[in-house]
Amino acid sequence: MSDPKMKFLVVDDFSTMRRIVRNLLKELGFTNVDEAEDGAVALQKLNSAPFDFVVTDWNMPNMDGLTLLQTIRQTPHLRHLPVLMVTAEAKKENIIAAAQAGASGYIVKPFTAATMSEKLEKIFEKMGKKATA
Amino acid sequence: MNGAAGPQQVSENVMSDFAGMEDLLQDFLIEAGDLLSGVDNKLVDLERSPDDRGLLNEIFRGFHTIKGGAGFLNATELVTLCHLTENLFDNLRNGELAVTPEIMDVILAATATVREMFASLEQGMQPTAADPDLIARLRQAIAGELVAGSAHETTAPAQPAAAGQAVAGGAPDWELLHGVVTGVARVVQPVREAGPVAAVVAAAPTRPPEEVIKAAVGRRASDKPGSQVSTGRRDGEKQRDNSIRVDTTRLDQVLNLSGEIGLTKNRLNALRSDILSGRNDTETLHSLDIAVSQLDLLVSDLQNAVMKTRMQPIGRLFQKYPRIARDLARSMGKDVELVLAGEETEIDKTMIEDLADPIIHLIRNAVDHGVEDAAGRIAAGKPEKSIVRLEARQEGDHIVILVADDGRGMNAERLRAKAVEKGLITDEESNSMDERQSFNLVFLPGFSMAAQVSDVSGRGVGMDVVRTNIQKLNGNIEIQSQLGKGTTFVISLPLTLAILPVLLVRLGDQPFAVPLSMVREILPIEAKEVQEVGGRATMVVRGEVLPIMPLAGLLGWPLERAPYYGVLMQTAEMSFILGIDSFAGREDAVIKSLDDFRPKGVAGVTTLSNGQIVLILDMKELLGSAGDQRWLSRLTMMAKQVAAA
Repeated sequence: MSDPKMKFLVVDDFSTMRRIVRNLLKELGFTNVDEAEDGAVALQKLNSAPFDFVVTDWNMPNMDGLTLLQTIRQTPHLRHLPVLMVTAEAKKENIIAAAQAGASGYIVKPFTAATMSEKLEKIFEKMGKKATA
Repeated sequence: MNGAAGPQQVSENVMSDFAGMEDLLQDFLIEAGDLLSGVDNKLVDLERSPDDRGLLNEIFRGFHTIKGGAGFLNATELVTLCHLTENLFDNLRNGELAVTPEIMDVILAATATVREMFASLEQGMQPTAADPDLIARLRQAIAGELVAGSAHETTAPAQPAAAGQAVAGGAPDWELLHGVVTGVARVVQPVREAGPVAAVVAAAPTRPPEEVIKAAVGRRASDKPGSQVSTGRRDGEKQRDNSIRVDTTRLDQVLNLSGEIGLTKNRLNALRSDILSGRNDTETLHSLDIAVSQLDLLVSDLQNAVMKTRMQPIGRLFQKYPRIARDLARSMGKDVELVLAGEETEIDKTMIEDLADPIIHLIRNAVDHGVEDAAGRIAAGKPEKSIVRLEARQEGDHIVILVADDGRGMNAERLRAKAVEKGLITDEESNSMDERQSFNLVFLPGFSMAAQVSDVSGRGVGMDVVRTNIQKLNGNIEIQSQLGKGTTFVISLPLTLAILPVLLVRLGDQPFAVPLSMVREILPIEAKEVQEVGGRATMVVRGEVLPIMPLAGLLGWPLERAPYYGVLMQTAEMSFILGIDSFAGREDAVIKSLDDFRPKGVAGVTTLSNGQIVLILDMKELLGSAGDQRWLSRLTMMAKQVAAA
C-alpha cells in the first residue's frame, strides 16, 4: 500500500522536530518530504501542490495543528488526505478532540521509526479498505 | 536530507551521551536556546502584565516545544521539568490559576534550571534531575496550593501525591481512549516520575548577582576563570559551538557566485590556450582583460557573500539580557527595565560570542553602580524605575553598541581621587587629566571597587577585562557620562574580523603590516625636531609630546639608522610615533592566523598582490614585550648624530 514516492508534508514550528520527522520518514523509505512551519503555511502548500500525507504538530503559532486538521477536513479537495497528529500532548481531551476532528492517527513524542512505521501501516491499511470498499 | 552538513563534534574532550545524535543535539541546542531566551524575555513582560493570555500561551508553547525535542534526545529530566512547567502554564492560560509573585518565582527558577540542563547537554551529558524542592513547588503551584512562604518549605506535606498524579498524566481511562483513536493499545509514556536525585544548586529567586550571571551565561566547565585574559581570541574558539544558522537565500547567493566564477575560469582557460598557441591580437587581449575584470568583481562579491553568511543578528545575543538585568536588579532591590534597540543589526558570529561577557558586565555595572536605588531616584526627581538601554547600530564600516543608563553619572573628580588613593596614578597625573581620561580610569586593572571584585571573583572579569576583550576584537570602548543624567558605554567594532585594513610599512626591504585602525597620521621624522624628554626620544606633534619608538627596536632588531618616517599610532593606553624606513601603502588584508607557532607580537600573516607574505603586527603585544628599553637612548644617540652631521 505504501508507495515510497508518496509526498509528505511535515508541519512543525520547531525546525529540529521537522528534521527528526523527516529523518524518521527517510528511514522508512519516504524521501519525498516538504516542510511547513505552521498550519497557515501548510494550507498554502497543500493548496498549491498535491500531497499524499500530512504529519503535523499540534501546538504552533498562527494556525495550530487541530485547526489545520479541521480545515483540511472541510476542504473538498483535501478532505481525503491522511493526517497524522504528532504531539507531546497525551491528555485525553486532546486525543478526543483530534479524533473528533478526523485525525487519521495520533502519535506521542518521543517516538521511534518503528512506532511511526506501525502508525503509518495502520493508516495505509484503513485507506486501503476504504479504497476497495 | 542534509544530515552530513552539520558539525560533527560536540566537545572534543568530553565523552558524549549522545553518540550518533550530535547533529540533532546541536540543532536542538541552538533552536531551543533561542526559544528559551525568548521565553525569558516574555517572562519579564509577564511580570508587568500577568493576565496577558497571548503571552501565557506563547510561553506555554515554548516549554512544550522544548519538551518535545528533549524527548527525542532521551533527556528525561528535561522533559519532566518542561512538562511540569508547561502544565503550570496550561492552568495559567486557562484562567484556572493567576500569576502571583510566588508562582513567578517558581517559573523563573524552573527556567533557570532548564538553562542549566542545556549547559549540561552542551557538554554532551544528560542533565541530572532538577532540585526535588523545585519539582515539589511546581506541583504545588499546579495544584493551586502554592501560597506565600511555601517556597521555603522543603516538602509539600499536604497533597503531593494528588498533584503528582495529575501532572504525570496517570489517569487510567485515557490509555483506553488512546487505543480507540489510534488502534494501538500501547501508550508511550511521555513523562517519567522524577526519582531520588543528586542535589542541584537550588535556583532560589533571590540569588546573589554572580550566580545570576553564571546561570545566565551557561558557562561551560571547560572555561577557566580568567583564561580569556591571557589567551588569544582564537585559542578559545575550539571549544565553542561551531555551527551556524544561515538564511538559505544567502547560501544560494554564494552558490550562484561560485558558479559564475567557474564559468569565468573556463573562459580564462580557453583564453590561456589561445595565447599559449600564439594568438595575441588585440581582440584576444581585450577578452582577457574583460575576463580578469569580471573575475575580480565576482571574487569580491563572493568574499562579501561568504562574510554575510557569518553575520548574525545581534538580537540573538541581546535577548538574553532583559532577564539577566531583571534578576540582577531584583537581587539589589532596584526596579530596572532593560530596553533593547537595533536587534536586527548584523555582526560577525565570532564577535557575538566574544561580546556576551563584556555586555553582561556593562549591564551589571549599570544596574549596580550606574542607577540609583528607589530612594535616590525619588530624591533626584527621577521616575522610580530606571531604564538601561542596550542598543546596536551600524555606522559606516563599524558596529556601535551602546549600554546607557539614566543613573547618577560618573564623577570625574572622585574617580581621579580614587585612582590616586589606590596608587594607580600620581597627583601630578591626576591634575592634568581631562574628563574623558578620568572616566577611562575605570578601565585600569585594579581600579574596581572591592564590591566589584567579589561579585565577579573566580571569573577574573572587571572593567579592565571588558576593555581587553573588546580590543581583542579590534574594537574600542569609550565612556560618555553626565553627572546626574547617566552614563553611556560606547563600544565600536569592525564589521568583520576576517578582513583587516592595514598600513604597509617597511624596515629596509622587509614589509610589515600594522592595523590601520590604530594609525592617526604619517609624518616625516626630522632629526632637528627630535627632542629628548626624560631620556626618551620624542617629537612634538600639534602641541602633544609623543615618544618615538623605532619599529626595529620593538622587534629586537639592531637599529642601523634613525627612522625616516613616523606613523602616529594610538592604542587605548597611549599615543606614540612608530619609527619606520618607508611605507608601501594600504591594503585590505585577509588574515591568516598562525595558531600553533605564532611569534610574540605577530597577529598573523597576509599575502600581498605580488605574492609576498607579510607579517601583521600586534602592536599591543610588541609594546608589552619591549621591556628592554635600550633602544630609546640609542635612538637619541642616532638622532643626535644625524643632527650633528
